[in-house]
Amino acid sequence: MFWHNYKYALRTLLKSKSLVFWTLAFPFILAILFNLAFARLHDYDVFEPFNIAVVNNDEFEKNVAFKTAFNTLSDDDSDEQLFKTQFVDMDEAERLLDDDKIEGFVYIADAQPHVKIKTNGTNQTVLKSVTEQVSQTATMVEEIAKSEAGNSEQPTMQIYLNAMKIVSEAEPNIKEDSHVMNMVVIEFYTLIAMACMQGAMLSVELTNRCLPNLSNRGKRVAIAPTRKSTTLSSGLAAGYTMLLFSLCALILFMRLVLGVEFGGNIWLIVLLAAAGSLSAMMLGMLLSVALKTNEGAKNIVVVIVSMVGSLFAGMFGGMKIYFDNMLPFVNKISPVGLITDGYYSLYYYNDLGRYFVNLGSLLIISAIFFILATRSLRRSRYDSI
Amino acid sequence: MKNVIEVKHLTKSYKQNKAVDDLSLTVKEGEILGLLGPNGSGKTTTMNCILALLKFDDGKISIFGKEMAPDAYDIKAKIGVVFQEVAVFDELTVYGNIDYFCGLYVEDKATRAQYVDDALKLVGLEDNKNQYPKQLSGGLLRRLNIACGIAHKPKLIFLDEPTVAVDPQSRNNILEGIKKLRDDGATIIYTTHYMEEVEILCDRVIILDHGKIIAEGTNDELKALAKIEEKVTVEVADLSPKQLSGFEKIKNVDAVSYEDGVLKVVFGKGKNNLAEMIEYLKSNRINYSRIFAERPTLNDVFLELTGKELRD
Repeated sequence: MFWHNYKYALRTLLKSKSLVFWTLAFPFILAILFNLAFARLHDYDVFEPFNIAVVNNDEFEKNVAFKTAFNTLSDDDSDEQLFKTQFVDMDEAERLLDDDKIEGFVYIADAQPHVKIKTNGTNQTVLKSVTEQVSQTATMVEEIAKSEAGNSEQPTMQIYLNAMKIVSEAEPNIKEDSHVMNMVVIEFYTLIAMACMQGAMLSVELTNRCLPNLSNRGKRVAIAPTRKSTTLSSGLAAGYTMLLFSLCALILFMRLVLGVEFGGNIWLIVLLAAAGSLSAMMLGMLLSVALKTNEGAKNIVVVIVSMVGSLFAGMFGGMKIYFDNMLPFVNKISPVGLITDGYYSLYYYNDLGRYFVNLGSLLIISAIFFILATRSLRRSRYDSI
Repeated sequence: MKNVIEVKHLTKSYKQNKAVDDLSLTVKEGEILGLLGPNGSGKTTTMNCILALLKFDDGKISIFGKEMAPDAYDIKAKIGVVFQEVAVFDELTVYGNIDYFCGLYVEDKATRAQYVDDALKLVGLEDNKNQYPKQLSGGLLRRLNIACGIAHKPKLIFLDEPTVAVDPQSRNNILEGIKKLRDDGATIIYTTHYMEEVEILCDRVIILDHGKIIAEGTNDELKALAKIEEKVTVEVADLSPKQLSGFEKIKNVDAVSYEDGVLKVVFGKGKNNLAEMIEYLKSNRINYSRIFAERPTLNDVFLELTGKELRD
């Protein structure tokens, strides 16, 4: 019975144009679009530093970590140079931007860095992303320096240098070949995470099919002499198969055709996709059972969860750091955030600890969704249909 | 004949509303039982309770001598249901749909293939077996819906308005198929809004209203409950209000109506009502083109008992 239902569930899913589009075609289309959008950034060899300005006001001068970082990123003798930076006052920075002499400028006000740009583009995205990263690092350095110096004393330059060393040594497993391109690969990782989340949509459809209060076909299945657990599990297994197949194809496409770097071995990459898909399928099952509304409305909820998760995880312009600061717990419980972070840790770190934390979190979340959904499902007869 | 279904004191409420109120019924082996009632009378709720799809507040339901429950798989294996709403997969062909639903009951592939062919033949879809549901007309789609519900050769079949919105050819095909199922030994519970189908098909009829059985019996037994004796219909081009009121004075007349040139006169009793009517028309020099008398139908009985037309 399991295989009979599995076979037909798979057949119907593969013949459903809308599901095939969202599950198989859409992530590929987005991957190609991302590749076109980030083509210049993606090619390390042709990346060239661009003109920016930094407002050297009092706050900038006092922020040693920030100043050091921008000096390093602007050093034309360094391989890591990103910017050709002019250190000017505010009026001059405004004028340079108005005259299109620079892509944007950075200034510090109220102890927070701000970026001013005139237009949106790749360089502007890089400037914003790097500034956010530097800001995060600078905050850590500042905190450590103050702690080292004691609350009563102003940290000396030596203390700042020590603090910067501590911060850089705090992440000893950073791979040597991981460059400033990390915000770009995050875009691709969130895309894989979003593709995993299509599993929730599949799961909503497959769960609805089995339950008499959710669909007419569900009524027909419910009166058959087949266990609900068998029809549901076989259907979900079919959806999972389809999703894993599409994810493997997407990952191979990204890696072999688009040249996206993942860092880890292929099995770890697939394993994370498998765990992410599982959490999405369980989420879809829970939403399908728990939400007392029609399938369309449930799919809208799935799309919202997926898109908001993707936004928090870093899709659409590298907002990850900003959201990590504002709402740090979201990416710790969001499947999209965990999948993205899992891939990022594979790419960025030698140590697999963070990867397995993300993997384990996904499995725990899947288990929680599963338990909540099955508790609802155990009410096998309904008050109304 | 033994009872296939026994329902005793079934009660089911939705908050304050009693959808089924202390209902008891039996269905005998091999019969076609018509379950009639206006919308909201409790037909579908009763069916869903019998099928263990709905929780109920009180009562006992047994099928084939065993208590019905969601996990009574041995009972479920002998039941087929054709729901009012078409429930098929657009992504599967006609054959694929029947094979899928049949496969929930029959695991052996060879047996299933034979059953699917039999079902296709029964509903007359042999030539459409490779088509997809969206390529079928409304009537053919209904036939597919039926085939999906009965392909596994159930002993007990629930048919919930299977002929809604189908063309006459498909309806005839469906009705013939249902008769064949009965002839093959199935017990059938049939709900419909079409009274003529009940008269053609059903061995026994139960009329429900407000969750209670208000009448039960064969077609003739139910017709005998009617208070009217005869209905006389006359096609008259024109009638004045005075002439119309004159009909009410004819002996045994219970009700008179005139609409679109058709005069309907209901007689509560009496044996020579048609002759009396003709005599009245002649003596009052009222010209008419056609006149005929009818015995009460099930629809009249239904109207009298529930105060509603079946199709309301």
